[in-house]
Amino acid sequence: MTEHVILFAGPMGAGKTTAIESLSEIETIRTEAINTDRETADKDTTTVALDYGEITVGDEDKVRLYGLPGQRRFDFMWTILNERAVGLVLLVNNDAADPIKDLDEFLEEFGELHEKGGIVVCVTRTDVAPIPRIDKYAERVRELMPGRMIPVFTADARNSDQMRTCLMSLIANIEMTAMIAASEERAA
Amino acid sequence: MNDLANLPHVQFSGQQASSPQPLSPHKDPHVIACANEVLSGFADLCRSLHHATILTDDGFEVASLADDVRQNGRVASMASSMQALGDAVAKDLRIGATEYIIIAATTGYVIQMRVPDNSMVLAAHFDAAETVGKALSVARLVATNMRTLISSEAA
Repeated sequence: MTEHVILFAGPMGAGKTTAIESLSEIETIRTEAINTDRETADKDTTTVALDYGEITVGDEDKVRLYGLPGQRRFDFMWTILNERAVGLVLLVNNDAADPIKDLDEFLEEFGELHEKGGIVVCVTRTDVAPIPRIDKYAERVRELMPGRMIPVFTADARNSDQMRTCLMSLIANIEMTAMIAASEERAA
Repeated sequence: MNDLANLPHVQFSGQQASSPQPLSPHKDPHVIACANEVLSGFADLCRSLHHATILTDDGFEVASLADDVRQNGRVASMASSMQALGDAVAKDLRIGATEYIIIAATTGYVIQMRVPDNSMVLAAHFDAAETVGKALSVARLVATNMRTLISSEAA
């Protein structure tokens, strides 16, 4: 049985908690508090430690899904969970003030996860804000991480099929990275 | 796992019935003044107290006993996460509401608990000279005083 630890990162309000809720086969663990920072995101609650869910892929591969708090003041949780992770689902809400800047910041913070396994970018809330278009994100990803294969999707965090597509793409990348590493080890 | 209905009710001293956006506790001068007052009393009650912070449930510092702004902010964030994790464990084990959290270390310990009826948390760091029982009872008194003071200010 293989286990993958996948992080869901992104700014406050991007849909990380909702995405894990959509994907998880178990009752999710959530650590929400009443949000007193309505200027940053106009929502009732915010994650202050982590979200946790699980999903089985194939016959027996277990994927552990960890959602991170979006605010930098909780970056100690980013560090703790980053150590165990092999992949990242980076969610960016398109209705943010500057979503491309959010993409920059989170890729800078978590970009190394590409070498450990893989990264996918999910642009959410495109129904609310149609621009920037997805090609802007893809272009920026190419600029920031040239030569890396990082898929960019638009997705609704509430839609389990769409989130599953994003996750499966990431798992495929992680398994490919592991296979390449194993073959390089054998060749060395 | 936490429903909004299960979260502690927010009580703001500056809240107006017609105001759609009440001041957050960490921005409310009345709440901050109350927090500073109870924390200074805390230091008088307990000599082994190293540091204490009152924070919002979502990790903003309301007031602290120490002057290190960066450290105070960090303690507030970490205490918020700890409180939420404690709540999550208690809920998952179906053992009721979290009353307090204790982190016992080699040379001291941290006690944290909610300010009753408010979405705020008291986090206090004591050195090892204090007994856990006394520290806990003083912390409980301070948290209760905070609630009483806010309520009387609001009334």
